[in-house]
Amino acid sequence: MERLKTGIKNLDRILGGGIPLYSLNIVSGAPGSGKTIFVQNIVFNSARNGLKSLYLTTISESQFKMVRHLQEFKFFTDELLGDKFIYADLGDVARKQGPDKILGYLTDMVKKYKPNIVVIDSFKAIRDLFPDEKTFKAFVFDLAAALSIWEVTVFLIGEYEERELTVLSEFAIADGIFHLYGQEEKKFQKRYLRILKMRGTPFEQGEHLFEITRTGIKVYPRIKPAVEELQYEVKAEKKGFGIKDLDEMLNGGLPEGTITIISGGTGTGKTTFALKFLLEGAERGEKGLLLSFEEPLAQLKSNAYFLGWEMDRYLKNGLLDIKFISPIELDVDKHAFEIMDMIEKDRVERFVIDSISSFESSVSDIQKYKDYLWAIAQELKRRHITTIFTVLNEDLFSPLVITKTQISFIADNIIVLRYVESDSNIKKAIGILKARGINHSRDLREYEITPNGISILGKLDKANMLR
Amino acid sequence: MPDLIDEKVKRYEDLLNEIWTASEKYLGRATVQLLVERVVWELSGEYKETELLQFNENGISCKELLTALKENLNFPVDEMFAKFVTSYVEILSRLIGSENAEKIMKILREEVEKLYLDSKEGKEDGKIENRY
Repeated sequence: MERLKTGIKNLDRILGGGIPLYSLNIVSGAPGSGKTIFVQNIVFNSARNGLKSLYLTTISESQFKMVRHLQEFKFFTDELLGDKFIYADLGDVARKQGPDKILGYLTDMVKKYKPNIVVIDSFKAIRDLFPDEKTFKAFVFDLAAALSIWEVTVFLIGEYEERELTVLSEFAIADGIFHLYGQEEKKFQKRYLRILKMRGTPFEQGEHLFEITRTGIKVYPRIKPAVEELQYEVKAEKKGFGIKDLDEMLNGGLPEGTITIISGGTGTGKTTFALKFLLEGAERGEKGLLLSFEEPLAQLKSNAYFLGWEMDRYLKNGLLDIKFISPIELDVDKHAFEIMDMIEKDRVERFVIDSISSFESSVSDIQKYKDYLWAIAQELKRRHITTIFTVLNEDLFSPLVITKTQISFIADNIIVLRYVESDSNIKKAIGILKARGINHSRDLREYEITPNGISILGKLDKANMLR
Repeated sequence: MPDLIDEKVKRYEDLLNEIWTASEKYLGRATVQLLVERVVWELSGEYKETELLQFNENGISCKELLTALKENLNFPVDEMFAKFVTSYVEILSRLIGSENAEKIMKILREEVEKLYLDSKEGKEDGKIENRY
């Protein structure tokens, strides 16, 4: 089936390639949800592809006002006005001549301009002109049939409330329904879109985040939590830390394409271990990416310098990339998708999120947080990216708690860092709780982080770590 | 001569109603009517006489068109109907997909063959057959 490419990044992907041609689509949502901009973005993108649109308003917004608002967006260009973007007032016809003249006027306009796209904004205003539901339903049916015969793809924009979507007749007749809405989540005011219906094409169901920016609409598709755990092959290749004794404990390193959680209390060195893992990869020519939600690049550089590690060389040659995202700005819906984008674009082989505990604090719904982590983990495994998630364990002396939200289910391997009391000293101990497909060491070993780097020391028999 | 045009137009009328019936299966009666309306409108720019085609939910009638054609025997009737069918099938193909349209075209080809076996004009230049 041929499709209308919306030109909005990721929207066409969600729609399985675009909106089926000659379909009748309703774009619903409350005032300010972004309906008009959403459709106008599609219309102007289509105009750039040579398609002509007829934009019919039914409310009193003048063309002048509309153009003024559109000028804020980069997708707008006045060169397309009058040629590929035809503006007309349907409201005047409907009010002065009556609703029974609307279809005739529309058909005449289609005959005159031969558009590829027709938009009626707002369609809900038209519904109010009809005497009863039955007459309106017949009108919508005739409208859908008439415009499809003229090979027109239709967008009807309306300020519909969610409860109306299941009862009003236009939604039964529509081929596609986009519902736009916003809600406040923690500190973010978020916009979402859901495709409730799209005949003739498979589409991604569920809630997709979108933003309205100066460049237009940006859609961040929902990352689907796979229902079943991905069946994947644990590759024989190991990705080491470059810390001799730790790699020995892991029987050579972390298996390629697996997810590892490094859990530990504050100051145990989670970030340091993770950074060393990336530097070792860079040394071997493998691209590494660290997403830091806690320490900015300058701080990480300073830490690395203290440990005698040369980071700049790898940052310069592109084998190491560090991106700091403030937890204040962290939006899981958006970043989960951007992470995948970065990994794909930069062909990352080793990847670290430091720490995923920061994700947790930005998500109001803990189930949503778990779904995201699961989805990200499955996607990373599918791409054979060897990944470390660091997790803050707030209980410094309790080794069995990996995280308070029990996310260890996503991990193939779990490395625990903890403090141990010994002879009136606080020591640090490392243990491998789990390493899938590896005959790993069960030892609890002391370690030190000094200006010489990370040193794994002897076994701590009295650490009582697993009790 | 008038008898010939009677016969010819009757055959075209049958052909158009064949298309109507075949495409009704895919589009529904009301939409087929709209499609005919569109083709008539598009073709009327070139052949004003197309507007004399009458149609309602029961199909197409060429009665009025025939009366006009009897007064203008030089009118390129084959060409007009050929363009009508071509335009109709092209739009139909875009609407329902070429695979489904092909099924309708198969029926049409058989009808067209029958129609032009007796048509000297059609046999001689082969224009009509080549259109489908």
